[in-house]
Amino acid sequence: MREQPIRQQPKKSIRKVFIKELPFHLMLLPAVILVFIYMYVPLGGLIIAFQKFIPAKGLFGDQKWIGLDNFIYLYHLPGAISALRNTIIIAFYKIILHLIIPITVSILLSEVKSAPFRRTAQTLIYLPHFLSWIIMGGILIDILSPADGIVNRFLGLFGVSPIFFLGSNDYFRFTIIFTDVWKEFGFNTIVYLAAITNIDPNQYEAATIDGANRFQRMIYVTLPNMRMIIILMMVLSLGNVLNAGFDQVFNLYSKQVYETGDILDTFIYRIGLIDAQFGVATAMGMFKSVVSTLFISISYFCAYRFADYRIF
Amino acid sequence: MVESKHWSSRLFVVCNYLLMTFLSLSCLIPLIHILAISLSDSAAATGGLVILWPVNFTLESYAYVARRAAFWHSMLVSVFRVLVGVGLNMVFCVVCAYPLSKDKDQFHMRTFYAWYFFLTMLVSGGLIPLYMVIRQTGLMGTFWALVIPGAVPVYNIILLLNFFRQTPRELEEAAIIDGASQWRIMWQIYVPTSTAALATVALLSTVYHWNEWFNGILYMKTPDQYPLQSYLRTIVIDMKLTNMGANDWQALALVSDKTVKCAQIFLASLPILATYPFLQRYFVKGMVLGSVKG
Amino acid sequence: MKKITVILALALALSIFAAIAFAESKPDPFGKYDEPVTVHFVRSTDDTLDANFFSQHPDKTMTDNLWCDLYRDRLNVIVDYDWIVKGGDEYDQKLNIALGVGDIPEFVNVDTLQLKQLAEAGLIMPLEEIYADYASDFTKEIMLETGTSPFDAATIDGHLYGLPNVDSTLMIADLLWIRTDWLEKLGLPIPTTMDEVIATAEAFAKADFDGNGVDDTIGIAIAKDLWGQLFSLRGFFNGFDSYPGIWVEDENGNLVYGSTLPGTKDALKTLHEMYEKGLIDPEFGVKDGGKVAEATTAGKCGMFYGAQWNSIYPLQSCVNLDKNAQWRAVSIVSATDKPLKAQTDVGTLHWTVVRKDVEHPEAVVKMFNVFIDKNWGPENENGIYYAPLDSESIWKLSPVVPTNPNKNNDAFMVLEQYRKDGDESKVTGEAYSILQKLKAFESGSEDGFALWGWERIYGADGAYGVLIDYQNKGMLQDNMFVGAPTETMTSRMSTLEDLQDEVFTKIILGESDIDAFDKFVNDFNALGGKEITEEVNEWYASVK
Repeated sequence: MREQPIRQQPKKSIRKVFIKELPFHLMLLPAVILVFIYMYVPLGGLIIAFQKFIPAKGLFGDQKWIGLDNFIYLYHLPGAISALRNTIIIAFYKIILHLIIPITVSILLSEVKSAPFRRTAQTLIYLPHFLSWIIMGGILIDILSPADGIVNRFLGLFGVSPIFFLGSNDYFRFTIIFTDVWKEFGFNTIVYLAAITNIDPNQYEAATIDGANRFQRMIYVTLPNMRMIIILMMVLSLGNVLNAGFDQVFNLYSKQVYETGDILDTFIYRIGLIDAQFGVATAMGMFKSVVSTLFISISYFCAYRFADYRIF
Repeated sequence: MVESKHWSSRLFVVCNYLLMTFLSLSCLIPLIHILAISLSDSAAATGGLVILWPVNFTLESYAYVARRAAFWHSMLVSVFRVLVGVGLNMVFCVVCAYPLSKDKDQFHMRTFYAWYFFLTMLVSGGLIPLYMVIRQTGLMGTFWALVIPGAVPVYNIILLLNFFRQTPRELEEAAIIDGASQWRIMWQIYVPTSTAALATVALLSTVYHWNEWFNGILYMKTPDQYPLQSYLRTIVIDMKLTNMGANDWQALALVSDKTVKCAQIFLASLPILATYPFLQRYFVKGMVLGSVKG
Repeated sequence: MKKITVILALALALSIFAAIAFAESKPDPFGKYDEPVTVHFVRSTDDTLDANFFSQHPDKTMTDNLWCDLYRDRLNVIVDYDWIVKGGDEYDQKLNIALGVGDIPEFVNVDTLQLKQLAEAGLIMPLEEIYADYASDFTKEIMLETGTSPFDAATIDGHLYGLPNVDSTLMIADLLWIRTDWLEKLGLPIPTTMDEVIATAEAFAKADFDGNGVDDTIGIAIAKDLWGQLFSLRGFFNGFDSYPGIWVEDENGNLVYGSTLPGTKDALKTLHEMYEKGLIDPEFGVKDGGKVAEATTAGKCGMFYGAQWNSIYPLQSCVNLDKNAQWRAVSIVSATDKPLKAQTDVGTLHWTVVRKDVEHPEAVVKMFNVFIDKNWGPENENGIYYAPLDSESIWKLSPVVPTNPNKNNDAFMVLEQYRKDGDESKVTGEAYSILQKLKAFESGSEDGFALWGWERIYGADGAYGVLIDYQNKGMLQDNMFVGAPTETMTSRMSTLEDLQDEVFTKIILGESDIDAFDKFVNDFNALGGKEITEEVNEWYASVK
């Protein structure tokens, strides 16, 4: 990042500025066009949210306008509110843990002196990231089974009675959050590790001379140096406040845990793609977009205002 | 280190190694599980007897997959998709990140453009309108439907522009005095000094293109055109027992062979797993994101 | 009784009149076009075609194969596809989206909901006259084998909008699959009442057949989609005079939704008690059919409700693993003193509809004629075009696949006769290829053992015998609502079904107590079920 330079700009005519900056505009032009066609034009389809949309009649067909009825229907649909609640709870914990766990692991990993060990560990913890949730879902149902899954067998050694991680409303959210953190922490760990390796070693030496022990060094040297990257990652992740992870939940949930596990995206999927109620699904998606935009704007503003950091 | 001989410090080191070993192993389990099943006898695998070690070792499933033309064909499609898709992503990533990394005084409209791109990460019109646009632009049923609509990778652009910002402005100013155009500055100063970041975004977009499956199913004209993950999706998907035609059991019996499924999953994961260690070197540096300079 | 019959008769009369009046232009059901007519379909495909046909004929494609050749040679009709997608769900999803952008194929197989929407939007054409004119007599006969309901479901405001790809209703009825080698070991008879089924389940669950000293056997296997054709609960509920998911008559002659019947509550209560006793897998709610199949394969379960084909999948892999295992399909049992009935439903899943502007809509009727004639008609080349021994699914290469709904019953009856008189000359067509399989199994060879599943269906005490028994004894409960989906149904029914499955699963697992059922019935009515019931009864009154 960089401070916004406060320089006295010589007065230039708009034309001159434009010509000088023309190469930038040209560089962006193809991307702007592509994004316009494939991202902005489809936004016109949001009108579906205000229609009783019947697929067979088509996008430009004679659809019935029903105002906010789809939104009202959603509000009254029992599952919708609990899906919203679940989404926020799951996403909240995921955002927090996706910060804390990788930061902790990266600090611990940086304390490992053996380079081959560190590199191997780094490679291995990143492995699950490459396996899609479709694949992972099947494996998790096996290893989390209360009857003969290895996790419960392992817990059994400590006298813990079998836990039905994926089928109990008491544990489902925890399982979703935990497995997601487990699958993805390797990625973020590497990000933070990169920041740590860039810290000036002199700072550590100075701290050691001042009598700081290992833990004090972590707290007073390592963490402050990671401040910026932590803020960046946090702001980027806040946009996910309504993304609790469709692929994951979709591949792990079941009817008995809808109550605690159904999220907005799975809800939209069921209504939209399976029931073909595109109007209601679009209304839900629109609501989600608005809330996400709100959150990201606030977090962007906060980062800029309080940490003097521009993400983009 | 001075205090490294202290007992508490030693205890910490031991615990730390143990913890890291445990974490690493826990991440290996899924792969080993899949590999073990793929190398087991079909009946044992279906019986749920295989956990981390093959039961009744056999290579039969791999022999079967080797004969499956559809699998290898879709693997080829995926490789091609990664090459073209990542190539496009990288070009757009660089040409967008570069101007956006400029300060406002250098490029007055940068904030507008930045929000223009960034908003697309948050809002989307949904499937139907996108399908329509893809059809109207003539991509439907062609390979290009997999790479063109997502050619501008906004998240990667943000990563890269943060990296670009670290490049000292003096370098650029010197080049301008030498009469270099913005295009030359981008290709000859920024790109060469950002190989690490470029490798990073390349890996991110490789993972995306390799693992994406839905577009394959939705936009292709025939299953021959499916990339690997779309193909995999049709074999590992949740088994639906309701709404089946009276004769659908034949398909059920065929795709239910767990060892063959796992062999295909394992083979499908191999290319990307093999690529990663080579890119990892750059990767660690590339993720710095311009943040360390503070 | 049914207005469609009237319409068909009327159309027939009209066509006869027309035929007399203009003897020259009499429509020919098998008439060959002078110029090639290209018909554009869309379709789904699956692994069976890949494995059984394309792998052996790598030079063949979806548009170049024996069925396409046949349509070209006989009718001068060229089959083409706008798109092909792999998987049934994926087909539905893509079709819905394609329809949503107005991308309607010339000829397309749709479900009743899509048919209704397309018809009401005026995008597809009425077919009753074309059907009456161009369907061959044999086609008309086969298409009515399961009654008029496949036509009723596609009839809106008196017009027939889709040609049913008819399929068997009988095959949907549940059977009780049971491990007879376990019964023998424990000296138990085949259960004939619900109490005996529960007692047997308990005996199975307690016994340690694999001798591993772990209590890991369950009584009855269930999969998470409760009403499938495998690991189902329908047969169990039927035993309590409850018919989930279909519409049945109450004592006043009105239609009610079978899931809301009082018997449902008893069934749920019993299932919960069985769960408490450890007779049901506590994890069933998260396990799909494939996962549950692992339990039957591994010998951890000896009983479940399901369809006649379950012996081929998944039970074949159970006997492959344990050669001493033996399964048999028996009749479902009753828990009440009311007459026992097994529920069925309209077997037809897809209707072929024709876009409004198509020039030769009758081409598709002619294709129906050729398909039916070739497979079950006088031409009877079933062994080449339907299910030759070496490539089982070849019939799927045709874009329209109306099945002779009774083909399996007929085959079983032929085989029964053969078992009585040993006269092989009467065993032809599909029955012949099945007989070859039975013989291969009886030879005791290793390859033959892979056909154990077929023997369990068509053998002397095979599953089909039980189904035919249901039919002969009048033990079938049809879905009494077979019309096009009603207004409220189109928007609310799937949400209600979701709610139902969620509540039922929770009651069985004890997450909700049994009173949740009463709340479900209230919710069902409040969330649109009441309107649906009214609409359904309106329909019922109109066809009575």
